Amino acid sequence: MTDLPLARFTIVEVNDRDVPICLRLATSLAGKIAADLGAVVLKIEPSDGDPVRHAPPFLAPGESALFQFLNTSKLSVAIDLRRDIGRTALARLLDKADVCLFEEPASAASIVRNSPATPIEIAAFPLEMNAASRPVSEFTLMAMGGLLHMVGEPERKPLRLGGHQASYAAGLAAFSGLAAALAAREAGRRAPSVRVSLAEVTQWVNWKATSAAEATGVSPGREGRQSEFQIVPCADGYVAIVYTVTQWQAACELIGDPRLGDARYASRAGRRANVEELYTILRPWFQGKTRLEIQALAQARGVPFGPIFSPAELLDSEQYAARGFLATLHHSKLGKLRLPQLPVQWNGRSFAPRQAPELGA
Amino acid sequence: MNAPANEPPLAGVRVLDFGLLTAGANTSAMLADLGADVLKIESGAYLDPFRVVGKPDNHDGWWNRSPQFRFTNRNKRGLAINLKDKEGQRVIRELAAECDVVVENFRRGVLERAGLGYEDLKIINPRIVYAAISSQGDTGPERMNVSFGSTLDATSGIASLTGYEGEEPRISGMDVNYPDQIVSLFAAGVVITAIMEARRTGEGAFLDFSQREVASFTLGEEILAASVDPHRRQEPVGNREEGIGQQDAFRCRDGRWLAVTLVGGSVPGLESFCAAHDGIQAMAALVDRGVPAALCNDGADLLQDGALVGVTLARDGGGGLVKGLPYRLDGHGVAIERPAPDLGQHTAEVLRTLLGYNDGQISKLAKAGVTSTTPTVSGV
Repeated sequence: MTDLPLARFTIVEVNDRDVPICLRLATSLAGKIAADLGAVVLKIEPSDGDPVRHAPPFLAPGESALFQFLNTSKLSVAIDLRRDIGRTALARLLDKADVCLFEEPASAASIVRNSPATPIEIAAFPLEMNAASRPVSEFTLMAMGGLLHMVGEPERKPLRLGGHQASYAAGLAAFSGLAAALAAREAGRRAPSVRVSLAEVTQWVNWKATSAAEATGVSPGREGRQSEFQIVPCADGYVAIVYTVTQWQAACELIGDPRLGDARYASRAGRRANVEELYTILRPWFQGKTRLEIQALAQARGVPFGPIFSPAELLDSEQYAARGFLATLHHSKLGKLRLPQLPVQWNGRSFAPRQAPELGA
Repeated sequence: MNAPANEPPLAGVRVLDFGLLTAGANTSAMLADLGADVLKIESGAYLDPFRVVGKPDNHDGWWNRSPQFRFTNRNKRGLAINLKDKEGQRVIRELAAECDVVVENFRRGVLERAGLGYEDLKIINPRIVYAAISSQGDTGPERMNVSFGSTLDATSGIASLTGYEGEEPRISGMDVNYPDQIVSLFAAGVVITAIMEARRTGEGAFLDFSQREVASFTLGEEILAASVDPHRRQEPVGNREEGIGQQDAFRCRDGRWLAVTLVGGSVPGLESFCAAHDGIQAMAALVDRGVPAALCNDGADLLQDGALVGVTLARDGGGGLVKGLPYRLDGHGVAIERPAPDLGQHTAEVLRTLLGYNDGQISKLAKAGVTSTTPTVSGV
């Protein structure tokens, strides 16, 4: 894989014991992106393995899809960091590494910081909170960072976004920090240490909440069925109604109901104030049509309505097939698997993920 | 490369930034925060839409006062050059010859029609790294599809896994537009990787980012699991999570919502326990017992908690609140060297210092309307 862009770099990913899983998912995603781009990524696991090996969803009994996705293209090294011999072995690997990904609290932190590798640390909370030992989950971090407050009905409980969004946003941020560290090193500069906390990344992606709260004194929050943008049922599922201010006229022409010409619906404020009546007019147009029919009719007029697809349905997406976004991986034990590649094409090239390693392989 | 050891990682890198709203403009903001010199190109005929959606009033200069624009475009210099004008296109091509990176998130084809596509700029500058960020990517039957924020919650799969159990799916909505946020976190890292390659090999790259793919990538394990089990249940399950005993938000006595995760097993009386206590008490009791619990914050709560905010917010020279960093470097957040630019604020400065234009050339461009400092669009 020497022609891959990060092939000349070595990255050590330390999977210490007793680290919250939500941090591990971030660390492993950052390492996976670097590995798929060609870096030699050494995943240091305890002798009984990264617990993500046993985390759902599963591909077969005991075979974790989560682990397979997050650890493609890596090498695994089993090291017991509780023993001196293990700590010495880690220090030797770090001598030849460019950067080291690890989590707080890490028993190995001092070894990493005293090595020539640039530290990339994943934590739950900002340094200022001084809360390294506070119990944590991805869900409670979403609540803390304000993202939970944004989804659902105003009078009902707030909702998390599907997937591992707090961990993965942090993993993407850690990858960018890692790339910056490598660029600094290669330019002969001292690379800054990088620290990513899930709480900070969650707030960072949710910046409109603080921006609006500062500007107006009132925080935005979940609007549910009071929102101008609703989910409506159609013949074979659901469609998200979404449009910009300038696309509203095209949306009216698409639906073709003269009642939409009412002055009450001419402005965003008016549509929000009359959202129930508005959707009484909009909904029937969707009822007899499929998601793909709706998407084709809407796109023909430049209206960005969004048909809702499940992950399973994306396996049949024509767009994804045409771009080769979903790779086929022939796994030595699990057979044919399909999974997303890195979401970039580089001069038309994709980066095919290689099978995640067995423990110590 | 010889460089002082204490310079920031991207010192010496120059970015031609056509980025709009979050996906594009924030990718280049992340590069600016790492030390790159970012030249944001707008025009009087086409403002970054954040100047418009965030306008606070209709008084003169409204286009320079949008909080969303200010949040996202700090640490950049701003130029207003009409890229639909032949003369404007010529000036931009001259700028591209002096840049290392282009970031753009126009609809596909816009820059090609202006003679500013990758194939055009590669001839002028073979080292250019050209990051094209679009809804669906640069190829495929849906390449011209439009999307707006939560369109991609829907089409990426995220919405299908979000919502109350047994009810319809949910989107993140206009106040979050989640898929727009994460693309810049990924794109910045890949652009930096390509800058390293360009330095090493002398060859740039066309980087084709699909925002929908970035969002679907965050569901990698779900897509993978569905590939071996097409009947896998994929629908909203509230706040529950596979493999976790009990997880939900509970309303406390004072009306605040408390998020709680019980990894193994469940506690039957948790809901009534929360209802009988104020949020902060219930949280403390659970955390004391080693249970992850956190109050559900809104934007106003976050503004008041400096420790929790960490480095995610910063103040510009005028005291305005702006976006900070998603990570810290050497323990610190971002230094805001300059506030977000007024429209066309640095056009003359950059043309003079970077391209060697004289005052006559600069005023000629302004008189011809190629450059400007006011919007020429009506009805915004």
